[in-house]
Amino acid sequence: MLFSSISFLYFFLPAVLILYFIVPKVLKNSVLLISGLVFYAWGEPRYVVIMVISILVGYVFGLLIEKFRGKKLSKVFMILSVCTDLGLLLYFKYVDFFIDNINNVTGLSIPLLRIMLPIGISFYTFQILSYTVDVYRGDVPAQKNPVTLGAYITMFPQLIAGPIVRYSDVERELRERKHTLQKIYEGIIRFCVGFGKKILIANALGELCDNFKNTDEKTVLFYWLYAIAFSLHIYFDFSGYSDMAIGLGKIFGFTFMENFNYPYISKSVTEFWRRWHMSLGQWFRDYVYIPLGGNRVSLLKHLRNIFVVWFLTGFWHGADWNFIVWGLYFAVLLTLEKLWLGKYLKKSKVLSRVYVLFLIVISFVIFNAAGMGEAMQYIGGMFGIGATGFAGAEWLYNLKSYALMFIIAAIGATPVPKLLVAKIKETKAGDIALSVLSPVFAVVIIILCTAYLVDGSFNPFLYFRF
Amino acid sequence: MKEKIKYIVTVVLSAAIVFGFSGWFLFGAPKEYSESERRVLKQLPEFSFDAVLSGDFMADFEDASPDQFPLRDIFRSIKAYASEYIFNKKDNNKIFVADGHLSKLEYPMNDEMIDYAGERFNFIYDKYIKDTDAEVFLSVVPDKNCFIAEENGYLSFNYNEFADKLSEKVPFAAYIDIMPLLSADDYYTTDTHWKQENIIDVAEKLTTEMGASFNGEFTVNTVDKPFYGVYYNQSGLKVPTDEIKYLTNSATDGCTVTNYDTGKALTYPVYDMSKLSGADLYEMYLSGTVAVSVIENPEATEKRELVLFRDSFGSSIAPLMIGSYSKITVVDIRYISPTALEDLVDFENADTVLFLYSTVLLNNSKAMK
Repeated sequence: MLFSSISFLYFFLPAVLILYFIVPKVLKNSVLLISGLVFYAWGEPRYVVIMVISILVGYVFGLLIEKFRGKKLSKVFMILSVCTDLGLLLYFKYVDFFIDNINNVTGLSIPLLRIMLPIGISFYTFQILSYTVDVYRGDVPAQKNPVTLGAYITMFPQLIAGPIVRYSDVERELRERKHTLQKIYEGIIRFCVGFGKKILIANALGELCDNFKNTDEKTVLFYWLYAIAFSLHIYFDFSGYSDMAIGLGKIFGFTFMENFNYPYISKSVTEFWRRWHMSLGQWFRDYVYIPLGGNRVSLLKHLRNIFVVWFLTGFWHGADWNFIVWGLYFAVLLTLEKLWLGKYLKKSKVLSRVYVLFLIVISFVIFNAAGMGEAMQYIGGMFGIGATGFAGAEWLYNLKSYALMFIIAAIGATPVPKLLVAKIKETKAGDIALSVLSPVFAVVIIILCTAYLVDGSFNPFLYFRF
Repeated sequence: MKEKIKYIVTVVLSAAIVFGFSGWFLFGAPKEYSESERRVLKQLPEFSFDAVLSGDFMADFEDASPDQFPLRDIFRSIKAYASEYIFNKKDNNKIFVADGHLSKLEYPMNDEMIDYAGERFNFIYDKYIKDTDAEVFLSVVPDKNCFIAEENGYLSFNYNEFADKLSEKVPFAAYIDIMPLLSADDYYTTDTHWKQENIIDVAEKLTTEMGASFNGEFTVNTVDKPFYGVYYNQSGLKVPTDEIKYLTNSATDGCTVTNYDTGKALTYPVYDMSKLSGADLYEMYLSGTVAVSVIENPEATEKRELVLFRDSFGSSIAPLMIGSYSKITVVDIRYISPTALEDLVDFENADTVLFLYSTVLLNNSKAMK
């Protein structure tokens, strides 16, 4: 099930809210667990079993790790837990990638298994992994109540597309959380912000990307228009979803970490990755980069660590070479910035931002391509190689049609709106005005986005395929 | 205190909308047909464990829930207005407004479709016409984008090039160019079709170039009901409606239309007034979508027969031409395979065969069987 659907907003959510707020405190986690399973099963009825197995495996191993803490068995169980979780992920997400590449290299014809990818497996696997490793490290006690652990994993606000919530971040709230009118209000507003970002901005720019992909008139300028549109589309799609997840979490009494911090104002690629999909970046930092030694090793090992993390980051995003190349692209850039470029970027805020935006736009062309062949074709097209012309009628039509949307998206991708609201709030009149406008905003967004949903059709989030 | 009021009002209003529409959806009567979209609406699926386990129930529910949402047409209008006036998009679901007309983007020119149409026409010629004495003609009706799209910044292909390409595929047919006779004003503002009262000159040109005489004297009659064209409700925008008119003279009054689509002969006048109670008033011309119908003109002074292969644009022009013929057989190969025409169409006695199709259909000619 997706947040941006009639079934979620007008069936699932009202039902869960009613149930959640009428049951006694002791049953609230059970409601979260069951609703999470229903939410997941709505899209993947068969694969909910995989998620339940993953949760049970994590639960049992968590207890065993803690039971044998200080002994070698504790580490054995931790390794087994990691292997089981990663094994499931590798099988369901990557097995055909491996088979395909083995066939290409060896000339064999091993048949592909054509396994359907369980929605969100990359997200919940990482959550379970972080739980068992944190238990092993002694950062958190093992959760003895399977319902509580299950509620953490299956919590529908963040189940299929993040943020990747650490157990340690919500452990206290799982035990004890407050539901206040203010939190519910803040949750609604945050949800509406995300809803608007996804439906009104991301989907519109996604249409432009589809227009580009469906045309034979792929001119240089249309390649660039597509690349910029996709970069904005993926930002608003993913950050919009994260906003909705954070907003929903707040309604249910949870505070999830922020996942985006205006990445497009970054002055270096290093900074970009501290602002983009922050929960993933931090996960790889804490569970791969630092255990490998981070930057507290020799230069060669440091570079190795960077490349390992970024190879895995790319691979996590998709089982295809373009994702691996995308990840390694950033490894190279980050290395260059660390070793040499970084000091020059500090000299000009404007040029450094242009540099970042240019490289990020190129990166997302690779990311969104249907394989390396298409990635090379599109990048070539952006620089005139293989393009059908320079400008063209379709480019111009799409530019005119989406011009205002680009402007809205460009401004929306910066802190300007937030700073403006904060500035207005500083005055008494402004504060009153905002107080009046808040409910108006929520109503307008819900009605407007519903209108788009009713008029449109299926509109999945990009990241849910991971 | 102010903050608390803000919280309460926001939560209450949001909850009212979500729970309100949720309840309305759950307990409201299901809708079966959309007048605005002229289609059957998807229904919510029946619950069964098998359907749930297979995922079919959920998939069908997702598909049907937008169709069944309360106040669907109002929400579609909200979206149309937001798209047009807030976000300044040039089109909404490819429907646009230009020079007071609602229209639909038709771009790019599809060579494959032109080839296919040519192939169908060649099939018909080879099977039925080649060995007869009938003269064969071809004419392309430009859709109104020809006159409003490019000048208003909308995507548009070259209509002359389109006609030339098709003409090359149909070498056995002499081409009659009607484009110079047409302009945007000759089309309904809310519909794709041309106005019958504005195409007398087109009917004259077609008829005279096909060697028949033409009587251009008609009485113009206006239907006392607003015409909501096909784009009106698709667009979701509230624009002035059209007026539909029909032209009569002694020939139209005296002739009868017979169709055999149901297997039995069904006879009616050229203007089927029973269609005025339906959603699409344009169907009053020759009773709308019919595979094969025969218009007979007992007043004809000479025996002259035309076989007209056409799409819906032909429905409104055929009555203007019947005065020049004793019989017009009107064929729509979207609804009947060309292989099945032998017993329904008299090619042996046909003096003239005309292929008259609009660019809307020709650019999407896979609709032809």
